[in-house]
Amino acid sequence: MSAALPLPLQFTWLIPVYGFSGMLLSLPWASGWIKRNGPRPAAYLNLLVTLLAVIHGSLVIRDVFAIGPQHLDFAWFKAADLDLRLGFDLSLTNLAALELVTTMSLICQVYALGYLDKEWSLARFYALIGFFEGAMSGVVLSSNVFLSYFLLEMLTLSTYLLVGFWYAQPLVVTAARDAFLTKRVGDVLLLMGVVALAAWAGSLEFNDLYVWAAEAANQGRVGPLAGTLLGLGLIAGPMGKCAQFPMHLWLDEAMEGPNPASILRNSVVVTCGAIVLLKLMPVVAPLSPLATQVLLVVGTISALGGGLVALAQVDIKRAFSYGTTSYLGLVFIAIGLQQPGIALLLLLAHGLARALQFMGVGSIIATTNCQDLTELGGIGTRMPATLLAFMVGGAGVTALVPLGGFWCFGLMLNVLLPAHPQLAAVFLLTNLLTTANVIRVLRSVFGGAPLPKTRRTPECNWLMALPMVSLTVLVLLVPLIMQRIDPVPGIAAFPPALGLAVLLSGCAGVLVGCLLPKDEFWSRSRQPVVRVLQDLLAYDFYTPELYRRIIVMPVASIARFVLWVDRTLVKGLVDGVGRLSLSTAEGLKLTISGQLQSYVLTLIVGILMLLAAFQWFRGGLS
Amino acid sequence: MPVISAELVHADPSLGVEELQRRLLTGQTLLSDTPDHLLEVVAVLESYGEVLDAYSINLIYQAEKQFLNPVPIFKYLDGDLSLAKIWRHLNHDRINFEYAEYCQKAMFWHGTGGMDAYLDSPEFAANCRAIIAAKSRRDPLLALLNPLFPAFLPELIRSAATTHALGQFWRVMSDLFLDLARAERAGSVRTIPQVVAFMKDALVAAAANPIRYGVAIAGQHFWVLPPEANLTFLVDVAVPYVEAVFLRGMPFLGTVSFNAQAQQISPDQAQFAYGALYADPLPSMGAGIPPSLLMQDMYRHLPESLHQWYRDRTRGEGDVRVKICMSFQKAMFCVTNAAINGTMPHPLETSDPAQQAANRAYAQAWATRLAAGRTDCLAS
Amino acid sequence: MVQGGPELMLLSGLLLIPFVGSLVLLLWPAGASPQRLRLVTIVILLVQLALSLVVVWAFDPAAAGMQLQEQHSWVPGIGLDYALGVDGLSLPLVLINAALTLVAAVITRDIDRRPRIYFAMLLLISGAVNGAFLAENLLLFFLFYELELIPLWLLISVWGGVDRAYAATKFLIFTAISGMLILGAFLGLSLLTGSVDFSLTPVLSDRLAMGGQLLLLGALLIGFGIKIPLVPFHNWLPDAHTQASTPVSVMLAGVLLKLGTYGLLRFGLQLFPEAWARLAPGLAIWAAISVLYGSLAAIAQTDMKRMVAFSSVGHMGYVLLAAAANTPVALLGAVFQMVSHGLISALLFLLVGIVYRKTGTRDLQVLHGLLNPEKGLPLTGSLMIVAVMASAGLPGMAGFISEFLVFRGSIGIFPVATLLSMVGSGLTAVYFLLLVNRAFFGRLAVTPPTGDPQVDGRLDVRLAPVAPRETLPAIALAAAVVLLGLVPASLGHLSEVATTAMATVASTVAAISSGVL
Repeated sequence: MSAALPLPLQFTWLIPVYGFSGMLLSLPWASGWIKRNGPRPAAYLNLLVTLLAVIHGSLVIRDVFAIGPQHLDFAWFKAADLDLRLGFDLSLTNLAALELVTTMSLICQVYALGYLDKEWSLARFYALIGFFEGAMSGVVLSSNVFLSYFLLEMLTLSTYLLVGFWYAQPLVVTAARDAFLTKRVGDVLLLMGVVALAAWAGSLEFNDLYVWAAEAANQGRVGPLAGTLLGLGLIAGPMGKCAQFPMHLWLDEAMEGPNPASILRNSVVVTCGAIVLLKLMPVVAPLSPLATQVLLVVGTISALGGGLVALAQVDIKRAFSYGTTSYLGLVFIAIGLQQPGIALLLLLAHGLARALQFMGVGSIIATTNCQDLTELGGIGTRMPATLLAFMVGGAGVTALVPLGGFWCFGLMLNVLLPAHPQLAAVFLLTNLLTTANVIRVLRSVFGGAPLPKTRRTPECNWLMALPMVSLTVLVLLVPLIMQRIDPVPGIAAFPPALGLAVLLSGCAGVLVGCLLPKDEFWSRSRQPVVRVLQDLLAYDFYTPELYRRIIVMPVASIARFVLWVDRTLVKGLVDGVGRLSLSTAEGLKLTISGQLQSYVLTLIVGILMLLAAFQWFRGGLS
Repeated sequence: MPVISAELVHADPSLGVEELQRRLLTGQTLLSDTPDHLLEVVAVLESYGEVLDAYSINLIYQAEKQFLNPVPIFKYLDGDLSLAKIWRHLNHDRINFEYAEYCQKAMFWHGTGGMDAYLDSPEFAANCRAIIAAKSRRDPLLALLNPLFPAFLPELIRSAATTHALGQFWRVMSDLFLDLARAERAGSVRTIPQVVAFMKDALVAAAANPIRYGVAIAGQHFWVLPPEANLTFLVDVAVPYVEAVFLRGMPFLGTVSFNAQAQQISPDQAQFAYGALYADPLPSMGAGIPPSLLMQDMYRHLPESLHQWYRDRTRGEGDVRVKICMSFQKAMFCVTNAAINGTMPHPLETSDPAQQAANRAYAQAWATRLAAGRTDCLAS
Repeated sequence: MVQGGPELMLLSGLLLIPFVGSLVLLLWPAGASPQRLRLVTIVILLVQLALSLVVVWAFDPAAAGMQLQEQHSWVPGIGLDYALGVDGLSLPLVLINAALTLVAAVITRDIDRRPRIYFAMLLLISGAVNGAFLAENLLLFFLFYELELIPLWLLISVWGGVDRAYAATKFLIFTAISGMLILGAFLGLSLLTGSVDFSLTPVLSDRLAMGGQLLLLGALLIGFGIKIPLVPFHNWLPDAHTQASTPVSVMLAGVLLKLGTYGLLRFGLQLFPEAWARLAPGLAIWAAISVLYGSLAAIAQTDMKRMVAFSSVGHMGYVLLAAAANTPVALLGAVFQMVSHGLISALLFLLVGIVYRKTGTRDLQVLHGLLNPEKGLPLTGSLMIVAVMASAGLPGMAGFISEFLVFRGSIGIFPVATLLSMVGSGLTAVYFLLLVNRAFFGRLAVTPPTGDPQVDGRLDVRLAPVAPRETLPAIALAAAVVLLGLVPASLGHLSEVATTAMATVASTVAAISSGVL
């Protein structure tokens, strides 16, 4: 690191620290130490440090524009042949992602002031959001796989704590646990990969790993089995983070958490997971063609499965969260095909638009106390900011009108069509499903006649409306931002026919969304086939049941078996042996109630006897 | 297996429908008459009265001075923009007006009673049109939004009307509770039956108070709830308030899952039982429990007598706000008791069988509803 | 060998302070209040901790081999010398011993029976443990190893729970067998090599045939395996923990189990490098089995303390794995794991102790919602989340870097056993999450739920408040866990030279004797 670097660059490592410091700053209120005053100062302090992070981030971007990408590197722990470092890659892509994270965090924190206005544990919420933001900022900047893993695990922890925010709510108890464990499965597999990489490749810097992986593949230093296992381990972590099939269920359950956290989770957390995958891809690809195939398959299943399941959800949050799984499936396909540029554009377009959708959802929940699409309806024009958020957010994640999604889909189709027409079909079909879902939800919430729970629905309070409107504007501007980030070849670098195809798939989606019967309260179709299908999708292909049978029950049975072994075999054997020396044991019991001084005597006698024994041995030896 | 020691958990028996009905019909109070109860109820209502005073002032300020303000940054400051006040606001050294808004939302959303019906009337729509026309002339944003989203502003005006009405209701209640505390200090109220009777008399006296609400736009006065709507204190505001806040309430995010597939929340709002008489005090101050804000506000205005009483019990200062919630629940049963007594169809002393039957039916309806509430707090 | 000069008497000081303190307490005038005695103990332990820090300061991390040595003949006839020394392996353990004994004394409350003996025994244990860690003579080590046994047995059997007699007896029998095996191995080494030199330095085992080496090493493995404990010799531990009082559990898990792993490294690996190399693949599998067995058995527990006890079985398995792999990074990981397990398990037992004292139960089917802010144990719950996350190996806390070093150092040698151990690390998250979610999430209750919300929702829970002084030691431990997790170099620089040297020497010897070099 040269000393000539501008100050904002030198201190870029502070940006994640801002978030973490927010957590520490919240502690006096979160811990209940300040009892007479309310918790809001913690929120204001967090907003302040997040604002600092945003400003510092933009200063860094300005400097990087001027002098090009930089690398920051600090020694953390060194022992023998192991050198663990904290490295930050200050490339424009990473910094753009950083700005996405910090800006979204800022917007969400303002929004949370409104959404959680009657929440007494506000300080704890902000402490967790600060922690969350710090970990995410670090993940996107990180230049080595160790730091990435380190921070991903912190994300897992903060997800657990955020989902578990309303810890007294019965479903939260299981949701937080499942969110943690599902992600943890991915994390442990990733850790296996990281440990193996650390042992084999030495350096854990992504750039060194790229070189090593290419060489290792060329020279056959890593066997096909080891390479495949390594590749699968490395992609498992991001799969968990991005809620990809079969590790997608946690996102559904995580919807029990507070909505502002859901906004971040569905937009930037999944983005962080995908960015880690992007960085890992040049390591995975040369070593393991199978892992790449798995990425494509998982992405396809998630994209289509998520899209279908979303259509059958009656819960408004879940209807969109499955959309996240679906969309990230597309990102996985893009990453699997080594299209990092398009993948990043997809993530940007998705992150902002999905966040906007979830802000709209939060507004509906706060106003109606209801998440059930069958009980919502007829809000009409009473909530303009929310309606716009639904429409613009929906348009942003789909390719219906030329907002962010449209251009990404066009670029992607252009790449896919020659080599992978079937994947191109997956994109179009996913777009159809997503659009249909957006239209379905829009109809359910705003169309029709007002229902009891939507009879009195004033627009949400200004602290929610303001960030929502700002983000609406931002989503509308996404194509311009994309054009700036990716000037060559430009976001419109695809033939008009492809654009038309994308639009057509969107229109087909609109048609399907309009034709789908509106969910009535607790209704099920009378036709058995439709009913089976409806249930299959509504209950997420019965994944919870699958989990229970394939993972939970076996682990529980093995645990019970081990306990049985421990109680009957091991303990039985010990007690049996013990019975042989029963008299001794009884004698010991007796002494306990006897004179305590005798213990000391026993002690001294014991030591003397020991010494005598040595003397005796010595005699035996000499 | 470890044995759970008995002093760690404590449960009082709930009262059944018959017992509640009996107490109502014999003129006995729902809450048993003990000196501890008297202290708890009067003192907690005194702090509640002071909090309601602030709530009432702010709600009326919001409805009148922050009317249709899209970015009401200073809505909790009651127009006082001194640096000291802003600092106290930022330091959260203040009343939690958010809870007042929460009650307003509950009342508006549940939408029962005469005022709610008036909000859907053509007369009200005409008032709205006049107000919006006047407002749009000075506010280009509203002028743009109203044609695009015609239902937007009327809904906000309805909400403001409820806000103002609740402010008026709480004005009366605040005065009532502070008067009660004065009467107790003066010695004219010494028992729980006297507390209930005091409140009943005050409610009956205020029953016919008119509820009106008008706003000033550019110096011109507009009625939102005009006198000719004939809205009155008891039936149009107090009864819907009891229905929305005491009985139905809104599900707490901290204890109930909103997940549609879990179906934990009834689709019928009339079946809701999350109100003040039903809520579990134990999770108070936990995450996702909005009444925590009220408990905090009352904690900050707690009379010393009751504060000392709390310090001597269970965890002392450590769980004081849960104890406030428990006392508050008892007090709310007394208020409900007074309201039921005040609205009993016929005098309890009547000897006319038809009147007795009407009273019985009325008492039974209430007893059935209350029996599912936390009547365990009434006995001890 | 340097004879002890005045500045080199530091290590003797580490023995003298607790031993003399123990004697002082025993001779303290009868009738002194337990609070007074506790205070005296705390002062003595503070001095011990300060002296341990002085030793850290006097210690040269860059130098290999034993430092601050002291050597005096004691019973020359049997080869028993009073020889002390400290290196990067023992120094962190000495420090942990001082810190955790202090914690144990601080959290001791309500000792109404024989407080003098109680506190004297606590100090005696601490002194004996120091002696064992510092001994450079096999017999001296054994002496201290046995010396710690009796006071611990007393602490369990006099101040323990309802079933204390059973647990204490079991502990005594197991540990006595452990002692016999270790003594047997030491004497056997002397007997078979015909030497009466019990000093640590010379590697005698190369004079032995492989069969003899394997026999002696086997005895040591089982002997220390009981102490660690490794499956299937672990059965005494859950009972001992459940019957022991909280401070004793803290000592047992935090300090005394480390004697086993320390012995394994010091005497197994260092004295028998050749046989060790032969047995290493088996040891790695044994480690993985221990890890998985401990974790799976923990999942099925409903008693919080038993669950934590079984987690110890799992976590100590990592140390065996690292010792089997015997690479510099793995051995450093072993030291880290000993220290971090000491801190984390002490923290866990301390918190479980608070829960037990306030609720009267540790049953996970009974406890609910303890995070309740006003009526529950919110701070205890928050610290419990920190503790279980640290134990599950979440980064930023001590458990992670320890496990990472162990796995990173072992995967190249024993990939399968390492991967299996990592699965065990994943399972740790499962049972500890069950613990936190059952006991701390949900509505507050200390009765089994009836399922009827009308009943469950009406129970008012009246737990005694947790005083700040009760949680202060836990906060300090949690801070240490986080600090070590964020700045692992603080420990790494103390131990790295020693563990690297140990791995190099051991593998060189093994290589020479197997004819590779």
